[in-house]
Amino acid sequence: MARRVSEDLIRLLSRDKVIDDPDIVRLYAREPSGISSEALAVVFPENVRDVSKIASYAYKNNVPVYPQGSTTDLVGGAVPEPSGIIVSFERMNKIVNVNILDSTVDVEVGVRLGDLNVELAKHGYMFPIDPASVNIATVGGAINSGAGGLRGAKYGTMRDWVLRLTIVLPDETGTIMNVGCRTTKCRQGYDLVRLIVGSEGTLALVAEATLKIAPLPETMATALAFFPTLENLFEAYREIKSSGVQPLIMEFMDHETAKLAGEASKSPINVEGHMLLVSVDCNFEAVERIESWLRGVMEKNGAVKVYTSKTIEGAEPLFTIRRSLFPAQVAIASELYPGRKKIVFMDDIAVPPSKILEAVKVIKSVSEEKGLKVSIGGHIGDGNLHPSVAFPLDDDTIKKKVLEWEFEISKIAVELGGTVSAEHGIGLRKKEFLRMEMEKLGSVKALEIMKGVKKIFDPKGILNPGKVV
Amino acid sequence: MDKSLRVWVESEAGRCVYCGFCEPVCPTLYPGGHRGYGPRGRVNIALNLVEGGKPTEEVLKSIYSCLLCGACNLVCPAKIDIVSVIRVFRALMWRTKTY
Amino acid sequence: MLDPLQIVRVVEENMKAHGLPFPAPREALYSWAKPLKMPDRGSPMLYTGGLYQITPYIMSVVDSLSKFEDLKLISVALKASRLLSTLGLSGLVVRPRADTVSYVENILRSIVELLRKAGVNVAYGYEDDLYSGVLLYDLGLDELFKEHAVKVYKALKSREAKTIITVDPHTTHIMRSVYPKYVEGYDLEVKSYLEVLAEAGLKTEQQNGGDVVIHDPCLYARFEGVIGQPRFLLQKSGFKVLEPRRSGRMTYCCGGPIEGLAPKMAKTIAKTRLSELSEKHGVIVTLCPICYANLKSVSDDKVKVEDIALLLGGREL
Ligand SMILES: Cc1cc2nc3c(=O)[nH]c(=O)nc-3n(C[C@H](O)[C@H](O)[C@H](O)COP(=O)(O)OP(=O)(O)OC[C@H]3O[C@@H](n4cnc5c(N)ncnc54)[C@H](O)[C@@H]3O)c2cc1C
Ligand code: SF4
Ligand code: SF4
Repeated sequence: MARRVSEDLIRLLSRDKVIDDPDIVRLYAREPSGISSEALAVVFPENVRDVSKIASYAYKNNVPVYPQGSTTDLVGGAVPEPSGIIVSFERMNKIVNVNILDSTVDVEVGVRLGDLNVELAKHGYMFPIDPASVNIATVGGAINSGAGGLRGAKYGTMRDWVLRLTIVLPDETGTIMNVGCRTTKCRQGYDLVRLIVGSEGTLALVAEATLKIAPLPETMATALAFFPTLENLFEAYREIKSSGVQPLIMEFMDHETAKLAGEASKSPINVEGHMLLVSVDCNFEAVERIESWLRGVMEKNGAVKVYTSKTIEGAEPLFTIRRSLFPAQVAIASELYPGRKKIVFMDDIAVPPSKILEAVKVIKSVSEEKGLKVSIGGHIGDGNLHPSVAFPLDDDTIKKKVLEWEFEISKIAVELGGTVSAEHGIGLRKKEFLRMEMEKLGSVKALEIMKGVKKIFDPKGILNPGKVV
Repeated sequence: MDKSLRVWVESEAGRCVYCGFCEPVCPTLYPGGHRGYGPRGRVNIALNLVEGGKPTEEVLKSIYSCLLCGACNLVCPAKIDIVSVIRVFRALMWRTKTY
Repeated sequence: MLDPLQIVRVVEENMKAHGLPFPAPREALYSWAKPLKMPDRGSPMLYTGGLYQITPYIMSVVDSLSKFEDLKLISVALKASRLLSTLGLSGLVVRPRADTVSYVENILRSIVELLRKAGVNVAYGYEDDLYSGVLLYDLGLDELFKEHAVKVYKALKSREAKTIITVDPHTTHIMRSVYPKYVEGYDLEVKSYLEVLAEAGLKTEQQNGGDVVIHDPCLYARFEGVIGQPRFLLQKSGFKVLEPRRSGRMTYCCGGPIEGLAPKMAKTIAKTRLSELSEKHGVIVTLCPICYANLKSVSDDKVKVEDIALLLGGREL
């Protein structure tokens, strides 16, 4: 089967666009989520016509297809299960056109967000969605996972920044379709762009996109503060969020996680409590005032130590600890289970900001009950938390406990008026959770509608099957 | 000697969490044309094949096209010595002549 | 890309036959030094490890290899006739370009003169300035490397070296950070000439050298902590040092280390780096013969690539 499919694909595209070497294919069948599988071949389309040929081939031959960017998905959204053809968009990596007057950029979806920002910076612009994986994540992956990031407090997630898409459908001819407008205002009937954003490769293969871009801030005031208790931190958080200022970034890390992140990044900053990091973008004239205001709020609410900066470059050292959240989580896992293969499970829930304190506290107590060591960090400006635990692959008991823990956490999120996934998606791992959320909302029917939508886009159910719904 | 090197490669490469943070800094990834030409690929090829097995042509190209430049080592959150994994894996392949 | 195993075999055979990874005459390593009349034993000893000197030979080998790569025949051709090693062993064909030979020899002479001006009079081992074995180590030819390293160490000891002064990042790294793991009782102190000059406080007449953009070699910047010294020396010599987008520890490789295995890929990487560097300025300063050769090979008349030793030695831009 694998042989026939790859021979067909070679004929259809060309030898150098198909990889069937099992040792290489295997590299595409695994994710940081820890889920791995097997695939028949990997194809590398170089333009939208290639994508269309692949889609049509898959349809005619009933072979599952799995679109992929950099496979940094954390929920099993990019894993080829059951086996099929992986479509890697890595070679479609051109930045086609930057239009400053329109504030848009046209890209092929294999462009990495980091590279996009290097190019945009030449024009004084940026693409504001910056997941922690910004340097590796592709536009296509970010669109399909509905990614968010540090600047989410102000700029939201991918769904707020995608204007237009060129998509390919898995049908007889591999239909190529343009949806959305180049303009911000766009009433093109039902909003198909928003439907595709966050659809995790289950509705269409996305080949090209027009994204909105934003000017780089003139400067920003940043404050990094450490608090003795979560209550203190939350008071500062509440005051900032209620002050009429819209922070660009608002990040949280619990004491121990921040400490490990500080060590992992060799930051000279001494971590003295739970960490709150806030940046407000502004013009030069205002920066001094905002900086001292931020400092004041932090101090008034009991911060033991506050570091501030009035420039973007100057803030970089204040970000080091936050940027090392993931290395810290890896370090915690290595300490817990030395010398064993393990998975770092990074969860991704959101609750309304007013419920953040409660959420953090319950997560801590649930983890304690289960005897799991949890580290918590997150983009709290928008209520998004990433509690993480790890388990060794060779221990089913701990693994089971972790899975129960995750379900529990998700339930809490929903009970607090939040959601089971803020920015990483549903994938394979969170399907049950999604059902639970919809049940709690008394809206199971929504799942039926989603399945119906999927059927219209993908009548044979061959596009990233088994994910989301 | 070989055994201890194998064990070392396994434990070092085995810590990879597959985050891909090493890929954007790797000069050979894009010109190579697939993931095998980046550090995440190389580390995992080493991991998958360190116990032996005949390396395919693509595997050889992947392992021998590494510049040993060390850009990946700097950004790996798991602090894997990727350069040494690749170099030692070359030594193991050559010594055991599994190809 | 060429068949890697064939290339490894070629390197192995060449090393076994005449102590160099690619075919080149032994005298090529030390003939440049004769007019300088350095004492032939003592310490500190200049140890080049031959990388600068064999660079012109590598360039010609790569040149002919690239042609095979284009034909996509190399693997077949090599398997059939053992082409390269036959050529190498019989000492045919690999003729370096005269201008590159004299360029690298000038660099080495300039280094000796700079050291002298800084009050450091070096000895030199001539026939015992052996190739360091870098490529053996990189390719994973560990046994052969170990054997060779012991030989090099003995040769240096026989010439009474205690401190050796190296001239390129690869040799610096291998002598300082790798040899100790392979050679029992290894006790040589290893310093790059840039470190020595920076410590001695370079004396210079030059005042206004102009702007240069610096290309940090990976091994100096990431493994040996040589980052500040070249900048300090260039500034002291009147140059204004511009930083490319990726510099210091976060530098970007020139592609050179794989020029023998994957010439096309090496060129693609060099082009990427060259354009990043020349975005800042048209004069690029390199600290390593491999970087020099690889960046130079993809540059046009609009950019100039110069070795740091020549700039410090007073070459006009
Ligand atoms: C350490 C770490 C930190 C992270 N931090 C964040 C964070 O802060 N915020 C955040 O939102 N995410 C985060 N992520 C998750 C992940 O990096 C992002 O979701 C990222 O956007 C995925 O990009 P990718 O190119 O790797 O996509 P992939 O993982 O390859 O794909 C993601 C999903 O999109 C689909 N897809 C990809 N390309 C296409 C296409 N062209 N057409 C159709 N479907 C496609 C895939 O099938 C899959 O379902 C993190 C991941 C890691 C490992
Ligand atoms: S050392 Fe090898 S794998 Fe790592 S960045 Fe350099 S070329 Fe890539
Ligand atoms: S950065 Fe390290 S952990 Fe992440 S994929 Fe690369 S080698 Fe693995």
